[in-house]
Amino acid sequence: MARTRRSRRTLTVIVLVVISLSLISLDLNGRTHRLTSGIKSVANDVYAPMRQGVLDIVSPIGNFFAGAFDYGSVQAQNEQLQKTLGQLRAEQAERSFQLNQLRQVMALQTLPYLQSLPVVTAQTVDQYTSNFTATITLDKGRADGVDVGFPVVGAGGLVGQVIAAYHHTSVIRLVTDGQSKVGVVFGPGKQYQGIVDGQGPGNDMTADLVPPNTPVHRGEVLFTSGLQAASFPPGIPVATVSSFHTAAGASQETIKVDSAADLSQLAYVDVVQWVPPA
Amino acid sequence: MSVRSMARVALVIFLVLMVQQTVMVALRIGGAHPDLLWLLPITAALLDGPETGAIVGFWAGLAFDLVLPTPFGLSALVGCLLGYTVGTLTAAVDPRAVWLKPVAALAGSVGADMLFAVLGAILGQEQMVQVDFLALFLVVGLASVVLVLPVNRLMRWALAGEGNRRSLVSAEGDTGVW
Repeated sequence: MARTRRSRRTLTVIVLVVISLSLISLDLNGRTHRLTSGIKSVANDVYAPMRQGVLDIVSPIGNFFAGAFDYGSVQAQNEQLQKTLGQLRAEQAERSFQLNQLRQVMALQTLPYLQSLPVVTAQTVDQYTSNFTATITLDKGRADGVDVGFPVVGAGGLVGQVIAAYHHTSVIRLVTDGQSKVGVVFGPGKQYQGIVDGQGPGNDMTADLVPPNTPVHRGEVLFTSGLQAASFPPGIPVATVSSFHTAAGASQETIKVDSAADLSQLAYVDVVQWVPPA
Repeated sequence: MSVRSMARVALVIFLVLMVQQTVMVALRIGGAHPDLLWLLPITAALLDGPETGAIVGFWAGLAFDLVLPTPFGLSALVGCLLGYTVGTLTAAVDPRAVWLKPVAALAGSVGADMLFAVLGAILGQEQMVQVDFLALFLVVGLASVVLVLPVNRLMRWALAGEGNRRSLVSAEGDTGVW
């Protein structure tokens, strides 16, 4: 009896593991990825409004916990607030917030490197939903003209690339994500090439495949190369050099770079409707 | 598992998913946030054994896979294996032991995150092993120890009436708070 029960239990687990592995295979296979992507798309279309509804209800709780983890500054802020008249202060804060948002949107309107490329301005609704990826979620999707592969820029430079586009939302892989690789050019006449590699959230990015002793200086800006089959249009600032050295006998220069775009200020971004030329 | 229990488990999975994606993701400490997903198979396994743990882990993982940018099916695989492992390893342990839930939550969550990252890297998502594991394990592990009690309460409600010895003993042995 116990043996039969153990066999059934083992069989259940084996079946579930096989189903899971099949789903993973379907998702990672280029031909069948559309199937899992479609399922995710439908689920996200249903889930997004529900999530927003729940967020409207629970955001005060989240704010409470966020405040609890940063008690010192909350207390200081509270003391500061007590010195001012409540109504006037609230209005001032509101105006300041709106001005900040307006500044961000205006900055997006005048990005010099986009030239005449069409863009969709979107708002960030979610950040870092998984502990293992550097992604953000935007409030614009396929219905708004956003598609997989489109570059995403913010004030300062390249933010990332669309990796999933649902009906009304999309997921962006940030340049700092470990899967992100961007071909870049730099130096006088943009004669040097390399690849900016994300190293995961919180870690410095690196510029790889740069030959040893290539002349470079701190603060130098690396731009998207736009070479044939590149995933990004040319001339978008990607990163700035923070440190560099060539170790003895090394086959390439070690260059650490910081993101050109301020990834802590991603309330609004532009999705560039650009596909690589065939 | 009865239809009633399945419906209740589905409701608990949905509730936990919503809390995770709205409140927990905002609690980023050292680049990591608490992960409630793993507590579902852990508590199900502690209450009703490895088979229920595996089933709950699979469905909970699948629900989370729908909204996460990681490979579809990966959370389901890890959740299933986690539920089965926790249920099997704790089968001989007295379910009334006060240390059982916190220890299972800590070890299970950290182990699941490790397995999740390694499997992801094997599947070509190398960035999944490029995170600060110390911060991740501390945040996820400690949050799991704290949150295992409310999640266990929800899961016990969901699995009530299954007639499993472990859940009955657990209910009798509890102080009534959770």
